Amino acid sequence: MPAPYRALSLFLALVLLAAVSPAPLPAADDVKIALVAPLSGRWARQGQLKKMGADMAIEEINGQGGIKALGGAKLVLREADAGDSVEKAVSAAQRVLTRDKISAGIGSWLSSFTLGVTEVAERLQVPWLSLSYADSITERGFKYTFQTSPVSSVQAEQALDLVVDLGKKHGRPIKRAAIVGDNTAATVFFFKPLREKLLAAKGIELVVDEVWTPPLADATAIVQKLRATQPDIMFYGGTNFPDSIQVLQKIKEFGVKTPIQGVGAWLVTPEYVKAVGKELLDNIQSVVAAHPMKGQDELVKKFVQRTGEPFMTQDPLCTYAHVWLIKEAIEQAKSADPKAIRDALAKIDVSAGPATSAFYPPRVKFDERGRRIGAAPLIVQWQGGEPFTVVPAAVATRAIAFHK
Amino acid sequence: MRSRGWLAIAGVVVLGVALSLLLQERYHHRVLTLVFLWAAMGLSWNIISGYAGQISFGHQVFFGIGAYVTVLLVVKAGLTPWIGMAVAMAAAVLAAVLIGLPTFRLAGIYFGLATLAYPLIFRIVMDWLGYQEVAVPMVRDRPGWFMQFTDPRSFDLLALAVLAATLVLSRAIETSRLGYRLRAVKENEQAAEAMGVDAFRSKMAAHMLSAAPAAVVGAVYVHAILFIVTPEAVFGLLVISQTLVVSLVGGTGTLWGPLIGAAVMVPVSEVLDSTVGDRLPGIQGVVYGAALMLITLYAPEGLYWRVRQAWQARAARGALLSRGEIAAPAEAAAAAGPGATVLLDVRGVSKSFLGLQALADVSFEVREREILGVIGPNGAGKTTLFNVLNGFLIPDAGDVRLGGEIVTGLRPSALCRRGVGRTFQVVRTFPRLTVLENVMVGAFVRTGGVEPARGIARAALVQVGLADRAGALPAGLTTLDLRLMELARCLATSPRLVLLDEPLAGLSGDGVAVMIAVIRGVRARGATVVIIEHTLQALLRLADRLVVLDQGRRLADGAPEAVTREPAVIEAYLGQRWLARMGSPAC
Amino acid sequence: MPWAELVQYVATGLLVGGVYALMSIGLALIFGVMRVVNFAQGDFMMLGMYLTYFYAVAGAIDPLLGAVLTIPPFFVLGWLVHRGLLARVTGGGDPQRQMDAQLILTLGLSLVITNAATMILTPTPRGIRTAYATRAFALGPVLLNQARSYAFAMALVLAVAVYVFLTRTDAGKALRAAADDPEAAAYQAIDVRAMHGLAFGTGIALVAAAGGLLAAYYPIEPNVAGNFIVLMFVAVVLGGLGSIPGAFVGGLVIGLVQSLTLLVLPFQLQNTGVFIAFLLVLYLRPQGLFGRRARTV
Repeated sequence: MPAPYRALSLFLALVLLAAVSPAPLPAADDVKIALVAPLSGRWARQGQLKKMGADMAIEEINGQGGIKALGGAKLVLREADAGDSVEKAVSAAQRVLTRDKISAGIGSWLSSFTLGVTEVAERLQVPWLSLSYADSITERGFKYTFQTSPVSSVQAEQALDLVVDLGKKHGRPIKRAAIVGDNTAATVFFFKPLREKLLAAKGIELVVDEVWTPPLADATAIVQKLRATQPDIMFYGGTNFPDSIQVLQKIKEFGVKTPIQGVGAWLVTPEYVKAVGKELLDNIQSVVAAHPMKGQDELVKKFVQRTGEPFMTQDPLCTYAHVWLIKEAIEQAKSADPKAIRDALAKIDVSAGPATSAFYPPRVKFDERGRRIGAAPLIVQWQGGEPFTVVPAAVATRAIAFHK
Repeated sequence: MRSRGWLAIAGVVVLGVALSLLLQERYHHRVLTLVFLWAAMGLSWNIISGYAGQISFGHQVFFGIGAYVTVLLVVKAGLTPWIGMAVAMAAAVLAAVLIGLPTFRLAGIYFGLATLAYPLIFRIVMDWLGYQEVAVPMVRDRPGWFMQFTDPRSFDLLALAVLAATLVLSRAIETSRLGYRLRAVKENEQAAEAMGVDAFRSKMAAHMLSAAPAAVVGAVYVHAILFIVTPEAVFGLLVISQTLVVSLVGGTGTLWGPLIGAAVMVPVSEVLDSTVGDRLPGIQGVVYGAALMLITLYAPEGLYWRVRQAWQARAARGALLSRGEIAAPAEAAAAAGPGATVLLDVRGVSKSFLGLQALADVSFEVREREILGVIGPNGAGKTTLFNVLNGFLIPDAGDVRLGGEIVTGLRPSALCRRGVGRTFQVVRTFPRLTVLENVMVGAFVRTGGVEPARGIARAALVQVGLADRAGALPAGLTTLDLRLMELARCLATSPRLVLLDEPLAGLSGDGVAVMIAVIRGVRARGATVVIIEHTLQALLRLADRLVVLDQGRRLADGAPEAVTREPAVIEAYLGQRWLARMGSPAC
Repeated sequence: MPWAELVQYVATGLLVGGVYALMSIGLALIFGVMRVVNFAQGDFMMLGMYLTYFYAVAGAIDPLLGAVLTIPPFFVLGWLVHRGLLARVTGGGDPQRQMDAQLILTLGLSLVITNAATMILTPTPRGIRTAYATRAFALGPVLLNQARSYAFAMALVLAVAVYVFLTRTDAGKALRAAADDPEAAAYQAIDVRAMHGLAFGTGIALVAAAGGLLAAYYPIEPNVAGNFIVLMFVAVVLGGLGSIPGAFVGGLVIGLVQSLTLLVLPFQLQNTGVFIAFLLVLYLRPQGLFGRRARTV
């Protein structure tokens, strides 16, 4: 028969084979955790980083004897690919939560995915941990969603305080600020309070306010304005990598010297070094929810050795901590039942151990909305091609550097 | 036979309900819901792109409007989506009008690519307005009132209801006058216009009818599948991608196409995601893409058409039956010649293109029941004249009066409704309609119902002697039969004036004789005929009068014998040798 | 507004548009000759970017040269893709069905290429660090980014080369004949199918080269096509489907419109300016700026 028919038959056979071939079955009493994150498509890199963190935590936990309260039961990760659309992310959540007895879940990096996925988790009553910053995640009256990162609006307030203090301390008071970024949700939630009240409250004039819809065609118009006004600080939210690279390159090209304060962990990933080089990045800072802090060298070394990544960032770190946090909750609940785990998480109060490794201050206790009480952001700074925690000084791994 | 389609639709609904009851896993219900929703979306696309042939790459604009309007009404006004959906539908139909008005001026791929712009504009605007992520607020008490069901079966059935409604709509269009007209427009827009189909109004109707279901699908999709609305998720390229896949893989122009496409491709995608996708992320995209490519190579016109072709042995080769008798005109007024009243009055018509004067101050009259021949060398402007008479061109100067009424500048379909019929130099068929259906398109000028149109079409076919070929496709017809079919189609519009553009071209002696007889019959039934022809011998037998055009000017006008002896005519067109030949009666 | 600032906006827009222009010529050629809407065009560009990256990393070859070096292998790739896949659904028969079929074919191809690239090349973004990406030529008060300027110049050179090929060489003329009237071309002993292969190969080679030039200042990742594919189509239609100079001008116009839109609309609505301009051109001049036949009803 002609070639296309043959190919089609072969293909159909393959699909059928794939459909019926069984996945390796975990032991009946293993405790299953779901990870729904983009593992293919546009955000595959971020999802894969999350998975790296989760895998490391699971290996550690199982290596140390598993879940003691359940007689040494092992943890198993069930990952589901959120792909590159909300439909696929929600399908992935549905799929993983209905096919297995899942005790708790983590994900999904992109706030729109997280919103969709937690809707499923709420309906199926499975507790869900997320590192997303968007305020909306815990403003829906849900009982099963837990947000460990400080929300964007809170970050905005605290970051501004930190930044203003730093300025005062080093003799460079901030009088004029710029807001530059895209209109993705987390960034919008950060910029809004800044623009509407926070800057004015501190007597800071907003001299540049440029927000774009990704993808950005060219950064000249923005950077020209920066050059013309020379603000004392630029709050920067270019979450889409190619857009961000263009802005940074243009800033160097135009010789703009304004200090950059990023908004989010997307600015401190290894690919920036390869794309623009470490000199360009030096002294750039970013407000993040998590980054390796003082005393976590062992953890970071282990991660780097396992994965070959040059350094550890927020995504794997948070996911690592999330897995440990779930383990804590299971120990306290003495059960793998999702409802019991949810109740344990609602009551939980830990201040030490790997479950707090990604959080500042190192205390995990949730309010009735599911937000971590007292959550505060860190400021991370690029130095010599690697990002270090610099503020607050108590947990800093390097002293902050000020450019001349 | 007609009820078979409705029965099949009922069958689909029953099957859908059965599946909904049988499936247990929540995830399976989600897949079922997705199949129903994407099938419905594909069906709605099919109305404008399949039936009407205007391929749209921006159909998701209605989907997105449906989603956003419904959800924003819930969030801002607390309005239940059951009512919000209706508002969204109205908004989408309005958008269809506003989009169609300017965009239907474009044809083919230009139309398709222009439609791409609209949803992308909406996407950007929604981001700008601050609606990047609008969550559907969870309602815990009386959730059904807000389209939030705990039992996934409810979503299945809701999606099935939407699908069923869209199937019914599609079928209703298929079997209605609009359906025939859309197919005619799709197959050959100019011919359709000449047959009285106002292409713009038909396309607009199809556009509006395609927008409404898409909006409903969008509204249900958000509540059943997404739970949140983002501009990318409802206005983005992935939506139109999925719509195209479902419709083109299944087959366009039929309601079974999107149904089959969705039933095959959605589960394939989900199976890939859930088996290999989680284990080897990305592979599902590769396999799915490969599947699309293979299906296209195996069934380029879509699975439905491919399977149907394989099932039915198309007996297109009908035996050469004896030509049906050409119906003799009922009235004994067969011998009646031209009347005295002027039917068509052409005054001072001029038309130029890019500096070339195609027609220059052409004037003549045509009397009722006259057969007027228009002759002249190539490039004399004959077809241009017809294009003016029939509405395809607007003259730069001059008037055309039909029965005393000025008709210059009317569209072809309007002229057809006023009684001007036309055939073309190169036969313009509707290739995928049968002979009978081709003729029915003309009949729809006089009637709104499909059955009456069929009757009129049959009568027209009998009149030209083509009744035995009613079920054949144009591809299998001889030149003579094609011309007869085109003439029958024209006659079905009950024309007062028939414009024939070289009806004898490419015909053998026998064919010419048949055609001449038919044309005489047309006049005998009371119509007026104007013919462009090169075959002068035949025209001399047929025409009452001749008009000679040369380089856009009317050279002569009068009885054939007189005109063919005029020196100017001989000089410009006939040549001395022709005159010599005519002198010796050899024919 | 000071004139210097306005000139800056115009210059920026043209530089951005230059690379859009080169991306679009390939698409215009493919559409003009074969009437194929190639959804996978952007993905071939992405592959061209990766090859250029490979040249830079393995052979320290500057991307501007690397872009030119992508032309031969991608021409062959394009030819093979046409031979093996597209030729089966184009080049004869019912144009309506062909259009349907090649839409899905190229859509499927796009999915395969993007996902395979994600799996094999990994989703981590790469970048070629060139010194001139962060330097500018100063023309009075106006700054012209060096990388984009070089890319613009190269794009112009390649576009002119294509134009000369199409209008001065026999092969080029045969190509245009096959585009204008395949039947007549066949009567002139022009192998229409080979012409299609030639057109597709050239179209793919051009967009790969455009990708190479882009890689001089833009990060490379498997999904990069998504940022440009719509603009490519808009440029081609704006210029007039099938017109090569038209597509080039269309690309420039889009860059310009993007830049100048910032003077009238909020930044977030930058691309709506492009789409509105696109629609306006189509309404006022449906055949596009340089199109030959009016595509109206």
